[in-house]
Amino acid sequence: MNIRFSSPWQQWRYPLATSLCILTTLALLPLREQLEVANIDMLFLLAVFVAAFWFGRGPAVWAAILGVALFDFCFVPPYLSLAVADAEYLITLAVMLAVGLVTAQLVATLADRTALAGTREREARQLYELARELGSTLQIEQVEEVLSRFHAPLGLKSTLFIPEAGRAGAPLRPCGTRPPSTLESSFATSAYERGAVVELDSLAGTGTATLFLPLSAAQSVRGVLACAPVTDDLQSVHRHRPLLQAAASVTAMTIERLHYAQVAQQVEAQIAAERLRVSILASLSHDLRTPLTSLVGLAETLTQDQTRQSEGSMDTAGMLRDQAHAMHRMLCNLLDMVRLQVGNQTLNRQWQPFEEVIGSSARLLTEALARNRLCIEVPKELPLVNFDAVLLERVMCNLLDNAAKYATVASTIRVSASAGDGVLEVLVDTEGPGFPSDRLARIFGSFVRGDDAAAVPGSGLGLAICKTIIEAHEGTIEASNRRDGARVRFTLPLGTPPAMPEDAPA
Amino acid sequence: MSAPTGQVLIVEDEVPIRRFVGDALRREGCIVSEAGTAPQGLDLVALGGIDLVVLDLGLPGMSGLQFIEALRHWSQVPVLILSARGTEQDKIAALDAGADDYLTKPFGLGEFVARVRALRRRPARDEAIMPQCRFGDVEVDLARQRVRRGGADLHLTQLEYRLLACLLSSEGTVMTHRRLLREVWGPGRAEQAHYLRIYVARLRQKLEEDPAQPKYLLTETGVGYRFQSCVSRNDSCPTMPPAAASPRSL
Repeated sequence: MNIRFSSPWQQWRYPLATSLCILTTLALLPLREQLEVANIDMLFLLAVFVAAFWFGRGPAVWAAILGVALFDFCFVPPYLSLAVADAEYLITLAVMLAVGLVTAQLVATLADRTALAGTREREARQLYELARELGSTLQIEQVEEVLSRFHAPLGLKSTLFIPEAGRAGAPLRPCGTRPPSTLESSFATSAYERGAVVELDSLAGTGTATLFLPLSAAQSVRGVLACAPVTDDLQSVHRHRPLLQAAASVTAMTIERLHYAQVAQQVEAQIAAERLRVSILASLSHDLRTPLTSLVGLAETLTQDQTRQSEGSMDTAGMLRDQAHAMHRMLCNLLDMVRLQVGNQTLNRQWQPFEEVIGSSARLLTEALARNRLCIEVPKELPLVNFDAVLLERVMCNLLDNAAKYATVASTIRVSASAGDGVLEVLVDTEGPGFPSDRLARIFGSFVRGDDAAAVPGSGLGLAICKTIIEAHEGTIEASNRRDGARVRFTLPLGTPPAMPEDAPA
Repeated sequence: MSAPTGQVLIVEDEVPIRRFVGDALRREGCIVSEAGTAPQGLDLVALGGIDLVVLDLGLPGMSGLQFIEALRHWSQVPVLILSARGTEQDKIAALDAGADDYLTKPFGLGEFVARVRALRRRPARDEAIMPQCRFGDVEVDLARQRVRRGGADLHLTQLEYRLLACLLSSEGTVMTHRRLLREVWGPGRAEQAHYLRIYVARLRQKLEEDPAQPKYLLTETGVGYRFQSCVSRNDSCPTMPPAAASPRSL
């Protein structure tokens, strides 16, 4: 109900207060003889009160002073003179002035506060509406629309700048229909990079944005909101500054939410793709392994059925079995390779002595190693190492298999392990021709690289999978030639093994 | 053959595998029955008379693991699993659910027959185990808790002895890490497999001729351990070449 006059009425407040006082005087003049001076005094105070309520602080003070003067002039004897007949009237006038001024002050303050509360309430409602509408947005374009709707009643035009492809630090691009000027884009970039508000009052009236608010969210600055006043009046920007900043915060949270929603969607898609690939791999490995198992078993059945077979067909059956075994090894290498290289297969790492893997792979390869001497040199107190035993067994099997294939017959294959310098070092030494020196650098090349690896006879995939497995364990692997043979050296990081409790003797 | 007759059930969906596994078992003197699915297999066990089940873990429909879980509610018949490499977690789950041993596909027939013999030789779960045991130059007297090697007394700590006894009592079959930890250390330590690995290494230092290439206390990589008293692994795998037992330096 109150104030107050909006701007066209602003200039009429003092004349209106003056007229109010004059009207009160005119209305009371005929009653001068009937009314007590004290009551007339009260009616003037009422006029001050009305002036304070309707016209604000300044006119009320003016009304209080003018009222006292008119009261003295017209109603205090002697009439039509500012002099007073009785000294007691001086007290009346002083009290009247004091009460008038205090009333003006109190009423005006109250009115101001009411007005402010009204503004705040309206702004809160606007912010609430904004938050609600932003909450239901799913795309950045919708956010831009909501923001335009929010700014229009405030006499502002807004432009939303967000980084390209939603990546933090990428160059900004404007969203929505209003194309920004080069000047606006560069100020927006400046606000974005510094994460601070940029305000340029000197640009008012040019139709350019004068306020650039960075959209700071919990993780990073998500963009910039530029506000341009529709008219050249900067008041709309200044008056609504807190509201605009609050709106910028809400927008920042919304953009962050949209960003994470997108990330979540991508992750979900990745998981689905991962699941599909794992299931394809699993069925592929099952489908290929089952016939190989049958092949091995059936061929072996033939070798054992000595009654009906000739010597030659027994040999054939034996070769069939060996070839099926070889094919199975290749299949295992291939599948492991795909699993490790394509997917992020989690390693089943456990703290264990490396000696176990050497022992178990030597046992698996008993047959292949029968032509050579196997010498294992492992210190008694080798620390535990954190690794995936199944995969490292594959590494050792491939290396030992290779060693057995290329070493001179009846020579010694030496496997040694030692700890030091933060790593476990394992060496596999063979006596023989060694690696072809022109291929030494490419010996661990995987099938991904194509023809080259296939040119290394039989070992292309075996060594490549070794490298993949060792690197998945943050280790290193290298091949070299010694004076009388070949050496493969690999390392695994040692780390800190878990503590061991001691037990009591029996 | 000389092996006692027994009735073996093969639960496997692949006909060629059923065929050569069945042939090998018949040559061992076993009576063989076959099932293509797990429910069919359970029905056959329920009819009675089965002494051993050879089970494929990757069955269509009801899986091998579900078969074992269902079977163990009412039967203690030994189960030998056939499973592919790279599925160690499935093997562990099956062994923990009550399977007795496993073979990784593709397997040699010699290996297969050796496992079948070991399982059929093994006393039933609730029978008392042999009080005395001998492997290599080691003698273990379980009744007196005494271990001798090469005729001399050998000192073992309490945990080492408990672990050895546990492995001996399940001779020829695989014990998962979890099971060994539970039986030797108690239920609270099931996740601390490195205890077990260190104690096995200590036992090997004390009992094996070449601890780096153990003959008796064998590692089943990714799954657990196996005690095997006779080194021979049947005809398909020759015994260790003499050179393999070369002395370890350091």
